[in-house]
Amino acid sequence: MREHPLLRPRGSRVLLLGNEAIARGALEAGICFATAYPGTPSTEIVEVLSEVAKECGIYVEWSVNEKVAFEAAYGAAIAGVRSLTAMKHVGLNVAADILMSSAYAGVEEGFVVVTADDPSAHSSQNEQDNRWYGLLAHLPVIEPSSAREAYKLVKEAFKLSSEYKVPVIFRSTTRISHTRMPIELEEDIPATKKCRGEFTKSYERWVLVPAHARRRKLELMKTWSALRGEERFVTIFNPGREKAIVAAGLAYTYVKESLEILGLSDKVTLVKVNMPVPLPSKPLIGVLERAKEILVVEELDPVMELQLKDLVVTGGFSVNVIGKDLVPGNYELTPEAVYRAIAKFTGASDKLPWEGIDPVKTEPPIPPRPPVLCAGCPHRSTYYALKVAVNKTGLRNVVYTGDIGCYTLGYQKPFETQMTCFEMGGSIGVAHGLAKVIDNPVIAVIGDSTFYHAGIPPALNVIYNKSHVLVLVLDNITTAMTGHQPHPGTGVTAMSEPTTRIMPESVLSSLGFKVYTINPLDVKKAIEEFTRALEDFKRGEKVAVVSRMRCALEVLRDARRRRVVLPVYTIVDEKCTGCMACVKLTACPALIVEPGSKKPRIESVLCAGCGLCAAICPYGAIVTANKPSENWVEVWSKL
Amino acid sequence: MINYDILVTGVGGQGLLTLGSIIGVACSIRGLDAAVAEVHGMSQRGGSVVVYIRIRSEPGPVMPVGGADHMLALELLEAARYMHYVKRGGHITINDFTWPPPLATYPSREKLISEMRAKGVKLSVVNANDLSTKITGSPISANIALLGYALGVDKSLRDILTLEAVEVALEEHFSGRALELNKNLLRVAFEEGLKLGE
Repeated sequence: MREHPLLRPRGSRVLLLGNEAIARGALEAGICFATAYPGTPSTEIVEVLSEVAKECGIYVEWSVNEKVAFEAAYGAAIAGVRSLTAMKHVGLNVAADILMSSAYAGVEEGFVVVTADDPSAHSSQNEQDNRWYGLLAHLPVIEPSSAREAYKLVKEAFKLSSEYKVPVIFRSTTRISHTRMPIELEEDIPATKKCRGEFTKSYERWVLVPAHARRRKLELMKTWSALRGEERFVTIFNPGREKAIVAAGLAYTYVKESLEILGLSDKVTLVKVNMPVPLPSKPLIGVLERAKEILVVEELDPVMELQLKDLVVTGGFSVNVIGKDLVPGNYELTPEAVYRAIAKFTGASDKLPWEGIDPVKTEPPIPPRPPVLCAGCPHRSTYYALKVAVNKTGLRNVVYTGDIGCYTLGYQKPFETQMTCFEMGGSIGVAHGLAKVIDNPVIAVIGDSTFYHAGIPPALNVIYNKSHVLVLVLDNITTAMTGHQPHPGTGVTAMSEPTTRIMPESVLSSLGFKVYTINPLDVKKAIEEFTRALEDFKRGEKVAVVSRMRCALEVLRDARRRRVVLPVYTIVDEKCTGCMACVKLTACPALIVEPGSKKPRIESVLCAGCGLCAAICPYGAIVTANKPSENWVEVWSKL
Repeated sequence: MINYDILVTGVGGQGLLTLGSIIGVACSIRGLDAAVAEVHGMSQRGGSVVVYIRIRSEPGPVMPVGGADHMLALELLEAARYMHYVKRGGHITINDFTWPPPLATYPSREKLISEMRAKGVKLSVVNANDLSTKITGSPISANIALLGYALGVDKSLRDILTLEAVEVALEEHFSGRALELNKNLLRVAFEEGLKLGE
């Protein structure tokens, strides 16, 4: 077996994804405990740690949500074991309660909280700038400028946390976390690590009753003030120029590129900041004393700019600080946006140095390509069966509340079975409120991993506070969208150990729901079961449906590995009338209508063999094109 | 000093991230600094995907429009969508495969190709799916074939990455028979690319 790239020896040059670089840095720093709930763009940090956990002798888990992940890693850190927790930006909202308290109580050993922000919301519901959490909690925020620097700085973050005995927030972004760079490994992973801790009782410290909290607040503010005097996270190039550019994190790379193109590298003072919160006052006051004009370049919010302006006012400096007036505050930074800002700031021409070919214009135009449910996705079959059953039952104007996962794509035509999507678990919580104030039938649609994450308390609330909501759990037995991590329903841990399988239907029935469990690939039967469930719901019963089938991507992968031939469908031309029912009712990416053609065809390369189109075709024109293996059904249904 | 940017595009699921990573490993082997910027998560579900590869010292990950020296496209509609990222006079190597989004109306293959040709770029339309199927038995390695063609067509790219470094990079991703098949595929595509480039 090949050695895992994460475990190569000191001196090796490896291409690492930013998240892998963070994981390697943490291993070199001697962590023995890592937790996360998967979320783009943070997932791979703990995913790769789970892959090497046994070999490195460390503990790694997929926790049920970010709050629980934070609590677990914090528990280790207060017992003196170096730990890491990683989450996407919105995950820190879920963990915000413990974050605030952890600042007051502090840690015994290094504890790093990685927040992977998503400027431009590539894979998220918002693009919040989590550096604010540092200002809110009075905790330092470390921000690397590249994947390579993330590797180095995560080690510094652990040192900082150990020295000051507070959690350290490590802010990555999509373009740090999901960029690969060649990295020279500086150190080996220590062979011995401190993995056993000790809990030392201290009621004044660990029990945050009001009297203790008030005292701890003063301790925290002392640390906060000391952190402002830190100099190791600020690098100043060409000190003493009249114009200075202060750049945080990733922005630095674009600033450097633009200055080189403009030939201004020696003409301005460039300040690279890797700790934007709290902004280290000592080195920056030196810059404020000598510069006449300062441009602050940072991604998203003016977190550093406001602190710098505060220093200017407090210190009475006569220097003009410009930031978001020239640098966009929305979406991720681009080389163009930074170039324009710097050109304006330095009085150069803002004509861009890059000249591309003109965009291609066609008639019909190039169609947009939003993400879609994959060919063979069982959610497609569930949504189809649900909509047919809703019609059969005569339910009108159904409101479908939605949640976070691949199935969110059901908001698109032809399904439109996701009418809201706010945050993890929100489908059921919002459905409850809606059901109390509107007359429409309300169906809450939630995925399995999301259900365990934050769907159980609102389901409990539906029963306790007596609203009329049908809960539909789409269970593909994995956390699919982030790349198939196990969860409490999978029956296996992050470290590949078998564990108790907790089924959504047992949770829901113990809460008092009457639960129907269906197989969406058996389309006819699924419609019958859904119809029965909806009839019960109409009569006023508390109903939940669990629709269970494995993710098609996992099925395709396993079929390849086990050499199982899955069915592939084709359309018999003589039987096809061109009614387009298959195309319009499934929107399957494997069903293609060529320009000018009146009939669809199935792209055999893409067909996963779920059989939904064949079940829908009123003319029996869709048939299997091959001879599938006898046991092909098992690949779909069995883990 | 080398400054060379490659844009890889196609549809989520076509092996774009693997292709980007192989080019990144080849850069690493060659001792070059590079940044390979991917997007994961929801956009991978059959959506339009772009990978920026910037070969230069301490690169920023996002590529400016008009900055790409070479675009590798695994799908025709995506090639047309991102074509303006390519520098005037740059290279474009496209897999001759159209995968329309569900329920969409879209321009024909012929129309797309003629529109792109009219832009006066160094355009090579190759059949990476077919070559992959011919050599490996499935179109799944079209990404490797496309890279082989591109190396053959574009001398600058060939000089920067080298066929040898790319072959070694394949070892990071494949082993056993799959490695042999992909190496063979890379080489055959490379030879055909050389002929196209003449």
